[in-house]
Amino acid sequence: MAIVVHLDEQLHARRMTLTDLAARIDITVANLSILKTGKAKAIRFSTLEAICAVLECQPGDLLAFDPALPPGE
Amino acid sequence: MTRTSARALAVTRPVIQVLIVLNVLYGLVLGALLCFSFFIEGWPERPLGFDLVSKHPQLSLGLRSIVLIGVTGAVIVHTILRRLLAIIDTVRGGDPFILDNARRLDAIAWSVLALEVLRLIVAAIAAAVWEPGRIDAFSFAPWLAVLLLFVLAGVFTHGARLRDDLAGTV
Repeated sequence: MAIVVHLDEQLHARRMTLTDLAARIDITVANLSILKTGKAKAIRFSTLEAICAVLECQPGDLLAFDPALPPGE
Repeated sequence: MTRTSARALAVTRPVIQVLIVLNVLYGLVLGALLCFSFFIEGWPERPLGFDLVSKHPQLSLGLRSIVLIGVTGAVIVHTILRRLLAIIDTVRGGDPFILDNARRLDAIAWSVLALEVLRLIVAAIAAAVWEPGRIDAFSFAPWLAVLLLFVLAGVFTHGARLRDDLAGTV
């Protein structure tokens, strides 16, 4: 997947754990972990909105496109 | 799932298992009858107790062909029941919208179609042997069932793809 998720970096910068974020946006840790490890196929706008609101960041801070990576299905 | 459909699902599995056993027995008995027919002297008029062969000379061949088609039908019904059981197991497991089920439904649709064709062949044989020119075996309902099964297989394929997409959505 050529889309890279920078959730780990954003969490690290705010000294927040995945469990904390999951509790604040009411999403399971398992689902957030799928997103963090780049295994997610899609992300809902509502999820993106909730993460951006808690981490006080922009969608572009969380997601990036890397053309060097192989494309996903 | 409603309580009624949950109960129906619980009952369906043993019913299909019983049907599988009965169908296997049916196929074996038909196969045995077909084999024995070659070793019984004066078949079929002697076991029947009256002479039909002189009136209908193709009777023996017709009866054997129909029994052979019956055995083929039993094999097809067996595959249908096995696939139905596999689908029911996925429903009980809470994950029915998978591509395997779509393929199973598609195969069931083709099998029902094959059974209908066999039924028409039996009617044609019966017409040729007993009543030339009279074929009245056509029924609209089974063909409608075949169409519905193909549509259902398509719905399952689409549902499985949607579910697959949703599985990776956060």
